[in-house]
Amino acid sequence: MAEVHVIGQIMGASGFSESSLFCKWGIHTGAAWKLLSGVREGQTQVDTPQIGDMAYWSHPIDLHFATKGLQGWPRLHFQVWSQDSFGRCQLAGYGFCHVPSSPGTHQLACPTWRPLGSWREQLARAFVGGGPQLLHGDTIYSGADRYRLHTAAGGTVHLEISLLLRNFDRYGVEC
Amino acid sequence: MATASPSVFLLMVNGQVESAQFPEYDDLYCKYCFVYGQDWAPTAGLEEGISQITSKSQDVRQALVWNFPIDVTFKSTNPYGWPQIVLSVYGPDVFGNDVVRGYGAVHVPFSPGRHKRTIPMFVPESTSKLQKFTSLCLVASSDLQAAPPTGDKW
Repeated sequence: MAEVHVIGQIMGASGFSESSLFCKWGIHTGAAWKLLSGVREGQTQVDTPQIGDMAYWSHPIDLHFATKGLQGWPRLHFQVWSQDSFGRCQLAGYGFCHVPSSPGTHQLACPTWRPLGSWREQLARAFVGGGPQLLHGDTIYSGADRYRLHTAAGGTVHLEISLLLRNFDRYGVEC
Repeated sequence: MATASPSVFLLMVNGQVESAQFPEYDDLYCKYCFVYGQDWAPTAGLEEGISQITSKSQDVRQALVWNFPIDVTFKSTNPYGWPQIVLSVYGPDVFGNDVVRGYGAVHVPFSPGRHKRTIPMFVPESTSKLQKFTSLCLVASSDLQAAPPTGDKW
């Protein structure tokens, strides 16, 4: 079986209007993929930038997959939330990006979006906080049913991901 | 050249903790250590160290220079658990006690060659205003008990 190592860091996020951000991340793969080592999802700490406006998490990612096919190449997905001084959490953005397919170190910048509600909900969000969220997390990384959503842009999640591939040439895949 | 049994590979890391930028603090020293998975073991060199205490330069750069050498070789059979270097920076507070000024970590680079990494540092924040106030008066600040392990964050 071919093996893929995804090793790197979720470095941080920039461009969000809120500070005090944390990120829930996960990785989604197709049915042919099996996770041999590592955790498939996690949540970073809450970071409040003291210098500049980029929130840094430096959250390590270390995953080892075995696969029988190329379909369902891993996708990392993120939910960025902000936490205020009272401990309330508010959604700041959803985003996803495919794990790169060439070996080496890659800098990824993943744009995010958040669902807008009706004008009443937008007004309520400005004053009280909260706001609409997705019911099913798989809308973040799949295109089905997206046409129903009206969204606004959030900030960008920055990652540095390195990829090590093994045994792909045995199956005729050049990388 | 497919091999049936696991093969051992070596990873040699040479470098230095060069310098730091901490606008608010001065007279800092740093400690480094390596965190790695179960399949990894250090074979040569030191896997942790404590640097000297350095003060900010008087010029406009305000740089804190350590120039502290890192020299370690690991051996492993599996890239999972690739070593991370964990840095902790400490400095004196108002009363002269050593307080943590930042923690940070980064993976050792994956490709051979010369790499430069800038590591953002963070400090745990007290969760309540009362704890913030008492930490000013008492010696112990909100400190982590051990270096953050791989894959876990507070």
